[in-house]
Amino acid sequence: MASSVVTLTVNGREEEFLARPAESLLASLRDRLGLMAAKRGCAQGSCGTCTVLVGGRPVMACLVPVETIEGGQVSTLEGVADGERLDEVQQAFLDGFATQCGFCTPGMIMAAEALLADNPDPTREEVVEAISGNVCRCTGYHSIIAAILDAADRRKHAAGKPTDSTDRQKHAPGRRQ
Amino acid sequence: MITALRMPESPEAAAEAVAGGGRVMAGGTVVMAQVNTGPIDAGELISLSRAGLSGVTVTGGVARVGATTTFADLARHLPFLKPAIRTLASPSIRNLATVGGNLFVPQPHGDFAVCLEALDATVELTGGRETPVGQLELGAGEIVTAVRFRVPEDGTWFFHKAMRRRLNSAAIVTVAATVRRTGNDVSAARVALGAVAPRVIRSPAAENVLLGRPLDREVLDAAGEAARADIAPFDDAYASAWYRRRVLPVHFRRTFEAVQSETEES
Repeated sequence: MASSVVTLTVNGREEEFLARPAESLLASLRDRLGLMAAKRGCAQGSCGTCTVLVGGRPVMACLVPVETIEGGQVSTLEGVADGERLDEVQQAFLDGFATQCGFCTPGMIMAAEALLADNPDPTREEVVEAISGNVCRCTGYHSIIAAILDAADRRKHAAGKPTDSTDRQKHAPGRRQ
Repeated sequence: MITALRMPESPEAAAEAVAGGGRVMAGGTVVMAQVNTGPIDAGELISLSRAGLSGVTVTGGVARVGATTTFADLARHLPFLKPAIRTLASPSIRNLATVGGNLFVPQPHGDFAVCLEALDATVELTGGRETPVGQLELGAGEIVTAVRFRVPEDGTWFFHKAMRRRLNSAAIVTVAATVRRTGNDVSAARVALGAVAPRVIRSPAAENVLLGRPLDREVLDAAGEAARADIAPFDDAYASAWYRRRVLPVHFRRTFEAVQSETEES
C-alpha cells in the first residue's frame, strides 16, 4: 500500500501530508491535520455531519478521496470564526439555540455558509433545500432554519457598515475561489 | 485494503486501467460509501476525476453531457432538468454525483437514468461504440464517456418523483416523459418509469393509451393503470411492491398535472 503526498489549502493555510490510497478528505482532516470539527457520522453520505467546502462548494468529506482534490481549497468550520469572534452564522446559531447535542452543527454551519455565499438573501424554502443533506436528531430543524435566516439578515445589516462589510468578506469561507 | 487509487488522465488511459482490473469510481458517492463501510475492502480503485470527461455542450439542439459532469453543473447548463435534479439527493451530494455514475446505481436510485430513458438518450463509450441508454451493457474494459440527447421543446418535458420526504429521498415511483401534442391530442410519447422494476423501464402500454388522445384526467388515469402491465415492483425500505403498484397511476397523472388542467379548461 503506497501512501502518497497530498497538498491542500485548508482554511487559507497550505498543508502537506501523507494519505493512504482512497483515504477520505474527512479522514485526512481529522487524522492527519487534527481538524476535528467535521464529524464522522454515517460514512456513506447520508447524514451531512462531515460537510466541508471544496472550492467553495459544499460536499460530504467522507465521500471525497483526498488524492482527487490535490492542490484544492478546503474550508472547514475551524476557519469560520476570526479568533474568538464568531461569524454571523455561528452567532445566530448560538443566539437562536440552534444547537443541542452539537454533532450536526459543524456540517449545518458549513452548508449554511455555502448557501449564503451564493445567495445572501435566501427564502425559507431555499434554506431547507440547502440543509436537506444534513440530519439533526435534536432540534426538529426549525431553530436551525431560523438561525440561518437570521444570519442572512445580520450579514445584510452588517453589509451596510463599511468596516463590518470588510470583515465579512475576509471571513466568509464559502466564497467562490 | 485498497492498494491504489489510480487517476488516469484521458478516456483512453481510463479504459486501459479498467481493462487491467480495478473498480471504477466517478463522483464517489456510491463507491466511497462502500469503501468506508466495508463492501469494497480490497484491490484498486480507478477514479475518473481527471479523465477529462466533464462538461456540457449543446449543439443544434442536442446536448452532450460528459460522463463525470456533476448534477450541480448539469443543472446550471440545462435549466429544463433543474426540477428533476432538485429531487436527487442533497446539494452536497449533487456537487459530487455524476451523470455517468447514475447509470449504474441500483433502483430505486438512479432517477436521472429515468430521465435519460425518456429523452431517448444515446450513451457514448470508449472505443467509439454507442448504444441507446436502455440497452447499456458495458463490454470488457469499456467506460461511459458521455450521454447525448435532444433538448426537448418547451412544454414537452414531464417529470415527477414520489418520495417519502419532499427532498433528499429515494423514489417510491419516478415518472419521466417526453410528450408532443398536435392541438390537444398526443402525437408522440415516450414514457420512462423508475423504482417500479429492477431496472429503469419504458412503458409502451402507457404510451399507447396516450397516443391520439388529449392529456385529460380520464386518459391519464387509463394510461397510468395501463402502465401497471409493464412494471415488476419490489419491496424496500421506502415502499412495498404492493404500494408502488397501487400508487403508480396517481403519480402518473400528477406528472402531467400542469397540462391536464390547461387541457380541461380549453
